[in-house]
Amino acid sequence: MNTLQTLFSLWEDTGFHNANWGNIGMIIVGMILLFLSIRYSIKPLLLIPLSVGIVLGNIPFFHEAAYHIGIYQDGSVLNYLFLGVLKGIYPALIFLGLGAMTDLSPLISNPKLMLLGAAAQIGIFATFLGAMVFGFPMPESAAIAIIGAADGNTAIFLTSQVANTLGTSGEGMAVQSLIGPIAIAAYLYMALVPVIQPPIMKLLTTKKERLIRMKPSRTVSRFEKILFPLLGLLLTAFVAPASLPLLGMFFFGNILKESGLTKQLATTASTIMIDIVVILIGFTVGASTQADVFLKWQSLLIFILGAVAFMVATAGGVVFAKVMNLFLKKENRINPLVGAAGVAAIPDSAKVAHEMGIKEDPTNHLINHAMAPNIAGLIGSAITAGLLLGFLF
Amino acid sequence: MKMMSITFDFTLIDNYSIIITVAGFCIVLATLSLSVCFFTQLHSLLDIMAKRKLKKQGSATHDDTQKVVMTGEENAAIATALYLFFSELHDEEKYVMTIRKVSRTYSPWNSKIYGIWNTMKHW
Repeated sequence: MNTLQTLFSLWEDTGFHNANWGNIGMIIVGMILLFLSIRYSIKPLLLIPLSVGIVLGNIPFFHEAAYHIGIYQDGSVLNYLFLGVLKGIYPALIFLGLGAMTDLSPLISNPKLMLLGAAAQIGIFATFLGAMVFGFPMPESAAIAIIGAADGNTAIFLTSQVANTLGTSGEGMAVQSLIGPIAIAAYLYMALVPVIQPPIMKLLTTKKERLIRMKPSRTVSRFEKILFPLLGLLLTAFVAPASLPLLGMFFFGNILKESGLTKQLATTASTIMIDIVVILIGFTVGASTQADVFLKWQSLLIFILGAVAFMVATAGGVVFAKVMNLFLKKENRINPLVGAAGVAAIPDSAKVAHEMGIKEDPTNHLINHAMAPNIAGLIGSAITAGLLLGFLF
Repeated sequence: MKMMSITFDFTLIDNYSIIITVAGFCIVLATLSLSVCFFTQLHSLLDIMAKRKLKKQGSATHDDTQKVVMTGEENAAIATALYLFFSELHDEEKYVMTIRKVSRTYSPWNSKIYGIWNTMKHW
């Protein structure tokens, strides 16, 4: 091989030679997201790993090279890290951490708020049918619909099980790998909760309803706190066994916390472990947006359907709270703003409900009440994911 | 960007998908409703059990009139006080006074002799 050939071969390996407009476009998108997250502090813990992942995943490289570097190339480092997403390992670990950091007292003290979390699931099921109308096969429709939960982990888990590789669905239709667009959409809507939810909440409620003061929560005993995750685990596992990797881990984490005897395990799960997993999941999901896989018309449609699912879920929670008020005594009435927290975006949607309540009446603190449907939404969406998985296989 | 023909066809919704939607939503609602019923009753049950235990021990039973009702604000104030106490964030001085001697090595840059004000006096 002469010098010229060696130099040409080196040139072929560089990103400059292999670059295409798709890669460059995605790198710009990654840079913009990185800028927004750093400059305006928009969900930095999530968006910084994600945006750096987008940039890294779109560095053009020579696909035919003997060494493997791409996230979709078997045996590459990124591919191994991506296994945690593909096999649903990271979402399960994040649920463990969430369980270890979540106080279920608001839910136990006012169990009827759990129904709001169930009502918000209407967004997922409505979008499931909506996606089918647009020609998506059933497994893909289920994966797209779960974006309505506004919980990236549940979305990644279900997508990893039903739409993560090229294959065929039960009806013989081609199923594509949708993890990239679905995860990005779910995380994006998680970040946009304070932007998307308030107009819907305002539209569906009157000023009088927004001023409703809810009864203070009662004190919850330690016995109840330990019993709840245990019974929750048994009940949900028996109803939807497919949701066990998520809910099993969530309730396990909560038992670690509430037992009071495994403080260091609960602390590790809710701090160091969850931080490591967030780095890995954010980064690898970002890197999975390789232009040739991500830049398709379906991705745009997924973003639109995901937004619709999230908006319907928010509206479902608010409207159901209003319906519940028709049957409740005056002193037990629910502030409908709390209903919007029925989506699984913990704790963002609860914070939004609280902030909207504060805007109307600075002394009306809704955060504690809003956490109840928020946790119920997380549990409900995991059950929904399990049910969809059960129906599809 | 790869082009795709976007279809919009309601006939793509078959019976099975409708069953999934209706049954799925009903199951989620039923599961969480069951939890609501259970945990609402559990609280009453625990109350009754606590009363019985107190009766057995011969202590005065606590009826609803004796129940301490606290608002969320009171709860929050007590919780904050306990948190501050256990985190030892309250003021506690050591009562030991020390004078830390800071030694500075000589440098013409911080010298009073060569200071700029001294120079200005001569102007």
